Formats: sequence, structure tokens, C-alpha cells
Amino acid sequence: MDLKLDATSRTPAVILDSAGAHLGISGESYPEDVTGFYAELTSALNAYFESGAKTLTTQIKLTYFNSSSARALMELLELLDEAAGAGIRITVNWFYDPDDDITREFAEDIAADVANAKVVICDLV
Amino acid sequence: MEFDRFFKFSQLLLRDEFVLSYSGYVSEDILLAVGNTLRVRLEDHARDGAQIRNVFSIFVELMQNIIRYGVEGPHPGSDAGEKPSFGIVMVSENDGHMDIIAGNYVAKDEAKQLVDRVNELQCHSHDELRHMYRERLRRSPDRASKGASLGLIEIARRSTLPVMCEIMPASGSLSFFMIRATV
Repeated sequence: MDLKLDATSRTPAVILDSAGAHLGISGESYPEDVTGFYAELTSALNAYFESGAKTLTTQIKLTYFNSSSARALMELLELLDEAAGAGIRITVNWFYDPDDDITREFAEDIAADVANAKVVICDLV
Repeated sequence: MEFDRFFKFSQLLLRDEFVLSYSGYVSEDILLAVGNTLRVRLEDHARDGAQIRNVFSIFVELMQNIIRYGVEGPHPGSDAGEKPSFGIVMVSENDGHMDIIAGNYVAKDEAKQLVDRVNELQCHSHDELRHMYRERLRRSPDRASKGASLGLIEIARRSTLPVMCEIMPASGSLSFFMIRATV
């Protein structure tokens, strides 16, 4: 269920560390195959949650993502929120560049739809 | 190509205000390669990181629109099988602003619909576009054919001036669709 993907010029670095209860996504996201790229993360996360995990802290630091990735990120947050609804303690720390209003607004809009997980949106300084 | 034709062409393209132009078949590999070149060029031309991000973002959405919706030009290649999309993208500098313009062939009967979708975005404020984006994101992709795509709304949000578009008649059953955003 652990996952470690190195960053490429168009896909972010992804680390799911089950022992540390940590998920990290950082870099840029405009994959050629968005669905395939995020499906790998989704299945690793599902396996982690099904293994009896109690908690997960997620850190998202994306300096650029395209609109197809935006949809995949929304679905990722939905998955995390569902897990939180099932009793797993979930925190999402979403970092954005201070000059990137659109990403901040996106994170705020996504967070508004999250009912159970805790989403913290912060300046990347 | 004859030298006189090439010369005229280079006099246009070698001016400082042209940051980058690409024309030809567009694929994801080409998007990546041209996008990397664009970033290098923007380091010299853009005023700050926010402008680089917005220009690059609009560029990616425009290229992916061509890949998804563009059709082969009037001089299609002989290859059977998957049809590549043909288009042209140009980034130019204008008094501190950057224009990102793309053109591609579309079927005549789809052109009007495309123009309507772009025009629909012009009269909306930043907050309204943000709201539209959010609504659009929640809608399932299979119901995504109606209204402006997420990519078009993204372009409109990152453009400081209203996104403009125009259609020119092309040969046969094709129209040439042009769209411009400004950052």
C-alpha cells in the first residue's frame, strides 16, 4: 500500500507512507494520462484505509496543475473525506504560492465541500 | 519554401514581441516540449512569476483543447489510424501584457457552438467564473458536453481581459477557430 512516485516534468512526486501515516503530493501536475496517474494513488489509499488505518496527514504542495488534474484532486479530497466520515482522522494541509490566487480559491472551494476531514490552507513561504 | 517568402515570414517572427510560436500537429509530447521552451522564453519576457504561471496555464489548456477537439487541417497526412490534431499557438508581448492566441480547424457545424461557449464567458466577473468553475468541477464528465469546458473557464479566470474568439471560413467542411487570452 506504500507508494513512492518520483516527480517528472509533468507529474508530481507522490509519497504514501503508511508507517508514518503521511501522504505527500508535490510538484506540478498536468499528466498525459490524468486518470491513470491518480488511479494508482486512489488504489494505494484504499488499501491503506482498508488495512485498519486510524489517521492520515496529507500535504499538497502543487505549484501548477491543469484543469483535468483539478478534477482528479477534487475526487482525491472526496475520497479522503469519505474515509474521515468512516472514522479515520484526516488532516489535509494545502500549500499555495502567495501570488497564486486561483490555486488558493480552488483549495478554498474544495475545502468548503469537505464535511469530515480537516483542511488547512496555507501560504507556501 | 522560396527565400522571399521565408524572408517575409522571418521579418514578422523575429520581432521582439514574439515570445513563441508553434504550428503543426499537436500531441501531448509536443505540448510538453513546446511548453518547456515557452517557460525558458518567459523567464526573459515575463514581469513576474504570476504572469509566467498564468501564461503557461492558458497555453496548456489551449494546447489540450486542440488535442481533444481540433481536427486535421486541409492537408491531412497520409497516415491511417489515429488522426492528429493540427493547430497554431502564438505568445506575444504587447506593452507588458502577454497575448496567447491559438487557432485550429474545427468542423463547420461545431464552430458556432464553440463561439457561443467562449462568448458566454466574456460577461462574467472573476467571482462568477470562480463559481462556474466550481459547479463545472462537480458535474460528472459524461455530462460535460454542455456549456464551456473546465479548460475554457480556467483560461477565462487566468486572463486579465475577456477571452475573445473568431471564426474564419476554411476549405471544405472546415472552419478556422481562433481564440485569444491576455495576461
